[in-house]
Amino acid sequence: MHISEGILSAPVLVTGAGLTATAVAYSLKKMEHKEVPKVALLSSVFFVASLIHVPVGPSSVHLILNGIIGILLGWVAFPAILVALALQGVLFQFGGITTLGVNTFNMALPAIICFYLFNRGVRGKNNFFALMLAFFCGFLAVLLSGFMVAAALVFTGEPFLQAAKLVLFVHLPVMILEGVFTAFCIGFLRKVRPEILNV
Amino acid sequence: MKNKPYLISIVIFLIIIMMNVSVFAHKVNIFAYLEGDKVYTESYFNDGKKCINSKIEVFDNQGNKLLEGLTDEEGMFSFKVPPEDVIDGDLKVVLTASMGHRAECTISADELGDTVVSIEEKIEEPISVASPEVSSLDLKEIQSLIEDALDEKLKPIMGEMREFKKSQEDRISPTEIIGGIGYIIGIFGVIAYFLSRKR
Repeated sequence: MHISEGILSAPVLVTGAGLTATAVAYSLKKMEHKEVPKVALLSSVFFVASLIHVPVGPSSVHLILNGIIGILLGWVAFPAILVALALQGVLFQFGGITTLGVNTFNMALPAIICFYLFNRGVRGKNNFFALMLAFFCGFLAVLLSGFMVAAALVFTGEPFLQAAKLVLFVHLPVMILEGVFTAFCIGFLRKVRPEILNV
Repeated sequence: MKNKPYLISIVIFLIIIMMNVSVFAHKVNIFAYLEGDKVYTESYFNDGKKCINSKIEVFDNQGNKLLEGLTDEEGMFSFKVPPEDVIDGDLKVVLTASMGHRAECTISADELGDTVVSIEEKIEEPISVASPEVSSLDLKEIQSLIEDALDEKLKPIMGEMREFKKSQEDRISPTEIIGGIGYIIGIFGVIAYFLSRKR
């Protein structure tokens, strides 16, 4: 889902960079000193997770984990994902530097959206309900990211329907896998360290 | 911080998974080599899957598109080296695979020059001094015989070099991953420092 260099048109790249810069500036203002270790850890999780591949048909896709990162970080997901993507770009040529803004926005915006949607439910009293919502959180985060990648490709020129179908279809296993993983993480945290989630 | 050990365990869990799964950056590679008067290209995702039906474009030094085509089911696409008066310097081969993946490679002018070198001048002199039976052989035949023999002999060596080159590009070492995580921690450490100064 990382878009490589040289694919997207300049307007798309500039828009993505602008939106991400704004979001990151806002998040850094909101970020509290004491949550920095958590942010660094989740940024590392994102960094490592993108290297785990799921072979699907003709190509292969990778884990994104923006669902769980969104739930745990909220707005601060933006700098976390930005830093991880920047390092992936520099160290592994994974994604690109010009595409940093677009890629960050594609993955971090669904994270914050899912945070607002599922926050209350995941921290609620009912355990089963929380797990179900966690699954949908992981699922939806990848789905939205897929849409945004397709949109970025469309605004550059590819026909929308084809690009959208391909990206979403190929990431279906990832959506399910991430839903399960998010549910597992949330369940684990609820049992063992409810304070993190403020249950 | 009480929360840290459990988040750390998630990161370690992921790292352990990653150590056991092949770790490849999710990008595409294109590999080109010369054989005879044709350029052969192989396109593949870093985890080994071939790029099928992906667009290949060939540009010259000035950026003019010389030709384009699609990779076949083996991810291969070949084309004849354009005549010397058309190309002037390096050739750039660009692969565009699905979902925003792109890779390119350059064939230097030196490599191209070799295919056009004729061995004729070198053969001229010895032939004229050789025994009468040899002079009945056509010069062209001798040249093509030598080229064929060389191709045969060099084929396994070229194949090995290609494999070696491929494996060099694909690997992401655990060192790089740990280095990346180190950078993440460092960057957030700096951010934490500035945040603490503000409060």
